[in-house]
Amino acid sequence: MKWSESISIRQIALAFVTGLLVLVSLIGGFAAYQTRAVTRSLEQHSREAAQSELAAGVERLLAQTEDFANNLAHWDETRQQLVTPEYYTYWRDQRVYESGMLNSHFARAALYTRDGTLLAPRPAKTRLPSKLPAGLPLRQTISWLSNEAGTIALYHAFPVYGDERRQTLLGHGMIRIDFMPALVRQAKFHFTDTSNLKLALEPGETLAASQLFSRLNFGARPDPDQLRFQTILSRTLLALFVLLLSASLLGFVAYNRLLVRPLGRLTQDIDAMQHGHFSHNPSRSQPMRISELENIRRSLHDYQLQLRELHGSLEHQNREFHSQARQDALTGSHNRRAYEEDWENFRQQLKTAPQGVAFLLFDCDRFKTINDTYGHAKGDRVLTIVADALVMALRANDRLYRLGGDEFATFLSHTTPAQAKQIAQRCQSLLEASAFSDLGISEPVGISIGIAFCAADQLVHIDELPKQADIAMYTAKQPGRSRIALYGEDTERAAQALVASRETSALFQALATPGMVELHYQPIHGLPGRKVAYYEALARIRYNGELIMPGAFLPVVSSRRLETEFDLAVLHQVDADLSSQRMPPGSGVSINLSAQSISRPEIVSLLLELSRHGTRHPLMLEITETSLITQMIEVRTYLDLLHTVNYRIAMDDFGTGYSPLRYLVDLPVDVVKFDISLVNKLGQDNRAGQVVADFARMMKDAGYALVAEGVETETVLQKVESLGFAHVQGYLLGRPVPLSQLTVQPGAAGMGAPYPPLGEDGSVFA
Amino acid sequence: MRNLKFARIAAVSIAGAAYSILLMRISLFCLLLALVPISTHAAIVHLEMRPGIDASAEYLAGQRNKPAVLLLHGFLQTREFPTVATLARGLQDAGYPVLIPTLSLGIPNRVQSLACEAAHQHDLDEDVAEIARWVGWLKSRGHRSIILVGHSFGSMQLLAYLTAGPDAAVKGYIGASLIEVQIGTTPRASLFAQLESRIQRSQRDLVTQHVSYCRKYRSTPKALLSYVRWDQARTLAALKHSPVNVKLIMGDADDTLGKGWLKMLQQIQTPMVIVMGANHFMDGEHEFDLLEHTLKSMEPTQRPLPR
Repeated sequence: MKWSESISIRQIALAFVTGLLVLVSLIGGFAAYQTRAVTRSLEQHSREAAQSELAAGVERLLAQTEDFANNLAHWDETRQQLVTPEYYTYWRDQRVYESGMLNSHFARAALYTRDGTLLAPRPAKTRLPSKLPAGLPLRQTISWLSNEAGTIALYHAFPVYGDERRQTLLGHGMIRIDFMPALVRQAKFHFTDTSNLKLALEPGETLAASQLFSRLNFGARPDPDQLRFQTILSRTLLALFVLLLSASLLGFVAYNRLLVRPLGRLTQDIDAMQHGHFSHNPSRSQPMRISELENIRRSLHDYQLQLRELHGSLEHQNREFHSQARQDALTGSHNRRAYEEDWENFRQQLKTAPQGVAFLLFDCDRFKTINDTYGHAKGDRVLTIVADALVMALRANDRLYRLGGDEFATFLSHTTPAQAKQIAQRCQSLLEASAFSDLGISEPVGISIGIAFCAADQLVHIDELPKQADIAMYTAKQPGRSRIALYGEDTERAAQALVASRETSALFQALATPGMVELHYQPIHGLPGRKVAYYEALARIRYNGELIMPGAFLPVVSSRRLETEFDLAVLHQVDADLSSQRMPPGSGVSINLSAQSISRPEIVSLLLELSRHGTRHPLMLEITETSLITQMIEVRTYLDLLHTVNYRIAMDDFGTGYSPLRYLVDLPVDVVKFDISLVNKLGQDNRAGQVVADFARMMKDAGYALVAEGVETETVLQKVESLGFAHVQGYLLGRPVPLSQLTVQPGAAGMGAPYPPLGEDGSVFA
Repeated sequence: MRNLKFARIAAVSIAGAAYSILLMRISLFCLLLALVPISTHAAIVHLEMRPGIDASAEYLAGQRNKPAVLLLHGFLQTREFPTVATLARGLQDAGYPVLIPTLSLGIPNRVQSLACEAAHQHDLDEDVAEIARWVGWLKSRGHRSIILVGHSFGSMQLLAYLTAGPDAAVKGYIGASLIEVQIGTTPRASLFAQLESRIQRSQRDLVTQHVSYCRKYRSTPKALLSYVRWDQARTLAALKHSPVNVKLIMGDADDTLGKGWLKMLQQIQTPMVIVMGANHFMDGEHEFDLLEHTLKSMEPTQRPLPR
């Protein structure tokens, strides 16, 4: 097993138990080894003790025998028997014992005369010699042993004197002792095995007592304490081993039940929790016997409950977040993320369930102007009202998506183009009914709706729907339209312009190639002399010899957000035309600029550069009213700058857009060009014509130079002339022509002033 | 009446001597200190009583002008017996030459007290003969005045010697704790008959008999008979007919004495001192009483003992 791998607690327990048993075995083995060594030492000690004990016993027996002999030798009755041996047998068989001279019948005493003859015949059972052995020293004590038919006899002979000075030898005494029984009985041997005690003596052989010990064969008595010690130790070790084994097994079982299983359950619970599975099994909530584990279980249980609650809360929050992540915070409608997911899912569903699908794109008209005019708070409120109105207008299962800014979208399933248009009209109706006036917004708030439809049998083009709806929406935004455009019907021409590769290619090529933008100049005549005051530069694209008109490429410019690039191309072409000096001298040039471009520094820089032509050709910038000016401060700053280099600022298409009065107030406008829709009203003899006429007079009185656009009849010409318009423009007096076709009119050098001179007070005067 | 007179005399002598005893003890102590050089003169004397049987005695030298004392031990004892040995030293200290024999009892150079169960072959005649030999030895040493002093059984043996006819040098007899030969509950007449029968049939097997303090005294019939004949009557007769002055020193707490023995002694008007509280051995403080009365009894011997 590698150490890097984790080991289980059960393995630890097994290892511990095994180690414990091994340790006990080692200790037991060591104890047994030590016991054996101790046993050997004890055996040696026992043998030495037995030897010492036996030697002491032999010495004691010999000393005792000598004491007996000494006592007998000095006993009065012994001398009495040697003098008057009449009652010798009584003395021998009774007196020596009852008097205590001999203490055992294993010992026998006998008396011999001075010449070594036994005093009386020996008893039948005793083997006392009838005569003392020859050569025995008569006046000395001597001891010896003899093997008498297997019986070892110890003899001790001693002299008996008649006086204390040992001068009168009365005779001899002899003691015979059955050596082995006497030796065994004379003392209790603790260490000597008396049953195996033998004297190596041949039958009939005699041995001096001094050499006795060398012939003794003996063995040590098994030490009962030692045997008991070994038995106790062995039993103790066995009992200890069994006890430890049992204790280990019991401990392991207890350990398993009390620790391993609960820990396993806890581990399973934790693993389940880790995988998000929260146990509801009541058995897992059973209390554990170990308090610490019980605390862990309780903590885990509480933690599990809290985690479950937290998980539920998180799921709820996730759902909330998921919902919020797909919901627009401002309007409450679905956001772009939801749109993308739902659109993708819907596309997948269509593969299995073909149906007619309509894609509706909503865009709030002039929302940025409203935002800038009334502030973001009200702008947001407008968006909310718009969203609410759209949601109310949609079907129950339709979803409204806010794609960004003021742009909303929805896609309708199981529908037809007519139904889609009907829903779009309902949207506009509900929006018109909304109370924007409550917000203090006086001007109408409308939406443009682009609709794209895909039949059930044409679902292969389903991906084109958003683009088509976008095109339709821009079509709907065109001035004068009904604000609802269905792609394919209402946007055919625009779509053709947008989708036609020729126009698109021409546009991009013109932007990349100087000179491809061709300017046609429409004269603007001064009144009342009707002389050409200046020319309005109108852009065309010359592509492959053909002239592409603005109605074909401007939607592409607008949809591709190429206003600045296009205006730069126009300004470069103006610069080129003015530099060619083919422009009639003194004639002014009016240049159309988008509102977005006038706030771009590169445009302003180029205009400042163009101002060098101002000495020969007065320059005027026309800012269309329909263009939304979102950066009013920057635009005013730039226009003021251009004003200082003698640019005139004209408000183009006045009467078609929004906030004209605000533009007039906030911007340094010099000239106001009445849109054809207003100019046509002047030809009518009704209240509308009167209003426009009064408005024109008011504007004139305010100091603005007025230009009437789209004058196509003499009546209108006379009317505007009577109203004090400074300039007039229209097919009645001149169509746009290329620069090459501009003819220097007679007296061109004395052309009417293209602009009315500025008064000291800054006002325009005719 | 005569007995009462003796009792009164004894009581008066005992009571009257109480004060003089203390003075005598002090004088004796002084005498012991003064005679230390004399006490060192002691010798062991051996005599062959019978062929092969020597007996020994210790002779304690004394003043030449004082009678010699032959001091005899009790039954089966030796001269080392404490009562005898102490008395001998006291007498010697008082300047008396003292001979303390150990009867052989048939054993060469006997030095140990003989056991009751030993094979006793000695008889009273041999004992008397040995006493006579020792009296003769004293005479051979120049002692012309000899006083026999015996203890217990020795007193009886000395009486036997006196009865047999003592040497003329024997001048007096002092018997301490005199006792007859006691035979227990055995009827003495039947014992005599039994022993005489054995003797007549030459049966020499040892006889076991209660003699004196020996419950099982083993002896030959002839030897035993020689002792057991000395009953109370024979002893009293011997006292009565003693050829020399007699003086008895008895203890009133002597429980070995036969029943009525002291009374009988008093009845025959034997001069006697009864030491109050003394037992048979007169040991302990009564050793001084024994010595004191012995010395006091021997004083007349320097003058003729009253008959």
